[in-house]
Amino acid sequence: MFKKWMGAALAVAGLALAGTATAQAADSVRIGFSIAQTGLFAAAAPSQLNAYELWKEQVNAAGGLDVGGTKRPIEFVMYDDQSNPEQTVKIYEKLITEDKVDLLLAPWGTPMHFAIAGVLEKHQFPMVGNSAASVQLRDLKPGNIWFPTSAIPDRMAEELAKMLTANGAKTAAVLTNQLPFSLEIKQFLIPALDKAGIKVAVNDEYPPDVKDMTALLGKVKAANPDAVLALSYPNDSILYMNQMKEAGIKAPFQFVLVGPTIDFFGKMFGKDLDGIVTIGHWTPAKADWPKAKPFFDAYVAKFNANPDYLDSALAYMSCEILEQAVAKAGFDKAKIREAISTMTFDTINGPVKFEGVQNVTTPTSFLQFQDGKAQLVWPPEAATAPYKPRT
Amino acid sequence: MDLLLSPQLLAAALIAGALYALVALGLNLIYGTMRLLNVAHGELVMLGGYVAYWSFSLLGAGPWPALILSPLATGLLGYALYRGLFRRLLANSALAQRIEANSLLLFFGVSIILQNLVSLAFTATPRGYQPFDAMVDLGVATLTGGRLLVLIVAGIVTITAVLLLHFNTVGLAIKALIQNREAASLAGIDTEKLERWSFIAGFAVAGLAGALVSMVEQLSPFMGFPYMIAAFVIIILGGLGNLTGSLIGGLILGLLETYGVALTSPNYRSVLVYGVFIAVLLIRPQGLLGRAQIVR
Amino acid sequence: MKPVSRLLPVFFFAAMASLPLFAGDYYQGVGFQLLMWIALSQSWVLLSGLTGYISLGHAVFYGLGGYLTVLTWHIVPLPLAIPLSGLTAALFAAMIGYPVMRVRGPYFVILTFGLAELVKYIVINVEAALGKFGRLMMGAPGLSTLYWAMLVLAVAATLLVVLIGRSRFGAGLRAIREDEPAAETAGVPAARYKLAAFALSALIPGMVGGLVALRTSYFEPQQIFSPTISFTVVTMAMIGGSDRARGPIMGALFLVLLSELLWANLAELYMIILGLLLIGFVLFAPTGLDGLLRRRIGR
Repeated sequence: MFKKWMGAALAVAGLALAGTATAQAADSVRIGFSIAQTGLFAAAAPSQLNAYELWKEQVNAAGGLDVGGTKRPIEFVMYDDQSNPEQTVKIYEKLITEDKVDLLLAPWGTPMHFAIAGVLEKHQFPMVGNSAASVQLRDLKPGNIWFPTSAIPDRMAEELAKMLTANGAKTAAVLTNQLPFSLEIKQFLIPALDKAGIKVAVNDEYPPDVKDMTALLGKVKAANPDAVLALSYPNDSILYMNQMKEAGIKAPFQFVLVGPTIDFFGKMFGKDLDGIVTIGHWTPAKADWPKAKPFFDAYVAKFNANPDYLDSALAYMSCEILEQAVAKAGFDKAKIREAISTMTFDTINGPVKFEGVQNVTTPTSFLQFQDGKAQLVWPPEAATAPYKPRT
Repeated sequence: MDLLLSPQLLAAALIAGALYALVALGLNLIYGTMRLLNVAHGELVMLGGYVAYWSFSLLGAGPWPALILSPLATGLLGYALYRGLFRRLLANSALAQRIEANSLLLFFGVSIILQNLVSLAFTATPRGYQPFDAMVDLGVATLTGGRLLVLIVAGIVTITAVLLLHFNTVGLAIKALIQNREAASLAGIDTEKLERWSFIAGFAVAGLAGALVSMVEQLSPFMGFPYMIAAFVIIILGGLGNLTGSLIGGLILGLLETYGVALTSPNYRSVLVYGVFIAVLLIRPQGLLGRAQIVR
Repeated sequence: MKPVSRLLPVFFFAAMASLPLFAGDYYQGVGFQLLMWIALSQSWVLLSGLTGYISLGHAVFYGLGGYLTVLTWHIVPLPLAIPLSGLTAALFAAMIGYPVMRVRGPYFVILTFGLAELVKYIVINVEAALGKFGRLMMGAPGLSTLYWAMLVLAVAATLLVVLIGRSRFGAGLRAIREDEPAAETAGVPAARYKLAAFALSALIPGMVGGLVALRTSYFEPQQIFSPTISFTVVTMAMIGGSDRARGPIMGALFLVLLSELLWANLAELYMIILGLLLIGFVLFAPTGLDGLLRRRIGR
């Protein structure tokens, strides 16, 4: 009986293996990456993977990736890193040394980006990152990894404080999920608020597996601040949105960190999402960026859902940057490095240029949902719509 | 002080407690009667959630059908698994000796399969819907419609279950089965049939919990884990096999989640929950209402 | 046949020792992981395999050791920090071991799980209070150094199981597994033995945790105290066989090879096959691969 099971399992394994030994066109461009298909981050990664897939489809439909003059079709070599940075390290080593891919795309998540920085450095293989944001990024040696995001915690804290001041907020409540990104933002936010003369009436943290915020929000309600800054992740963002209504919190400025930009969130909260401010530096509403709306529409057409205004946009941008660098430099790593470090790229988020590892053209911005659409409301010079206090 | 005495906080505690108790009930029905450690319990909740989501999106009949369809779906799955896998485990005396360990692994395999099948079928993209987002003003407290529903349904089901256990013949039979399988059999109770139905009921209850959860939280294939953990913590806390115990355990967790946090700080929510759990076990290794064994 | 099968672990480790000589970075990485799982599974067997107290929280020792290494980074030299991490984990186990090992059966299983989660959240709070949000460890030793360190740990863990398995202590542990009250009646100092097993089982994982933190050069409590690690260890030991040193080696080898084979683009399918295998093993090969081997060749 057991033998039959083993036999069956091995047969399936064999078939699976055979199935993946697809006929590879000799001239296709192989782009490798890992993504969290299972594990802790599996719910967050699809927004990035979808953007990758969309890009590949669009490029292939137009004849293929322009490699220094010749167009070749793209083929992905993708692995599941199981939301485990150690696995990610292994995968990227495999992609570089065994699979010998031509190009690399980024995994999902800050820990993964950090984990593979060493590998990229060692093999001198340049890669454009995307879904990573931390001041510690600046500690990484430039040359093999770049980060197009402008949502870096210290900059965000400064800008958020500025935005609050500009809108006359005198008191604020800061609620922080005990996860690295939110903790990092809080680290910079509290001093920034103090400096701006904004009184922090409530300053509490909570663990990621929190299931009820009534006690916390009761405190916030009692303090009645002008602004509530929920540095939360999707699960607790949902909790916040619901329980904030129950608690009757009517602060005019409400900020929710991670959640609002995801497609299902809008579907879940409908009109309640209006007025909520969140991080993001991309919106399809920006007329100055001609590629923005087409990307949005193409994504909706292909996936029947809105792109994540942060993650999907960033992922797509990283692809565009790679595309434009390779068109100029081919596969030569040194030339690609040169190209990424010096060129100004034309992306769905407008122009992007790097200095060191950071994107210095895109300002740190915030989005606000108005009538179900994400508008860029900060900084005022770049805004697509003015900020409206939440009623 | 105001906050501690507020009805709002009490309502929150009851909602949390009721949902916890419901999730734990399903698990206890399977553990208590057959000593099967269902670590796939969270996946059953997840499945119930997906059935609810799809029934809401596709049937266009509102969210109510889900309250029937989800438990039905998971109940059917329970029946299939019982016939296909667990009967074999229970019947094989060699395996039955280390039944906890073996069932743990079996269910672990099932949980991996369920998570990944769902991920393959629906991708890992999170989904959410809120059929009851209107606020319900109860005078003393305001609740989101969905959360009120959770309280009502979970509360009714768990209390009914406990009452049945004490006053209804079938319930008493289950209690007898939990206490001593052989004696129950000698007393004329059809233990096999009862076990089968407990198994199915346990799965169904988990599905129902999933339907409720889906209306207030996001759905994704790997969301089940925290529910499984919470369920185990509760049934161990309350004493394995003791359904009243798990009701109390669920309430305790709900109270910790709300009042515990209000008294200390939100930072310590999880430290409190697990800390209390461990403290209770170290002092009473058989849980709050479990049967004592001499331990040294 | 008999002597050969007994020497399997020896051949295995010899092969692993020579791996860096001809394998590239990637396969060394795979080897590193394999050795890591073996070290962890062996130490799990030392506790749960021998005493029958199934622990679902083995990651707690791994995480604690990793945390200590991270805390002493650049303060204490690594050759000292790693053993220190192991000792800290063992000390922690020794401190809580007595009350913890009083708890039995499924209560124990969930207790260990709860313990791992408790420690995880405590560390999260400590890190938050320290103002740390994930730690980057630049300049960690490369794979080659870490590989040798892990090899040493895997060998040590295996040796521990072999030696203890043959000792009186081990016999006592097995007696506890079979029937604790009877064992006590026969004079086995159950409480002391259980405590010793608990503490000993923490030693190696503590050091393994430190090495892995160095390998990824990034530390974050949620990652290192992950329940997945605990579950995988249990799976490997059960598939391989949880009574003797050979078991975890085979279990880990089997699972790592399987994952290498099925990886390409088949993440979910690999997991499903794994689930099916697990079910298959429980129903048809409850003594694991080791048990199968024994039945075939008699040893």
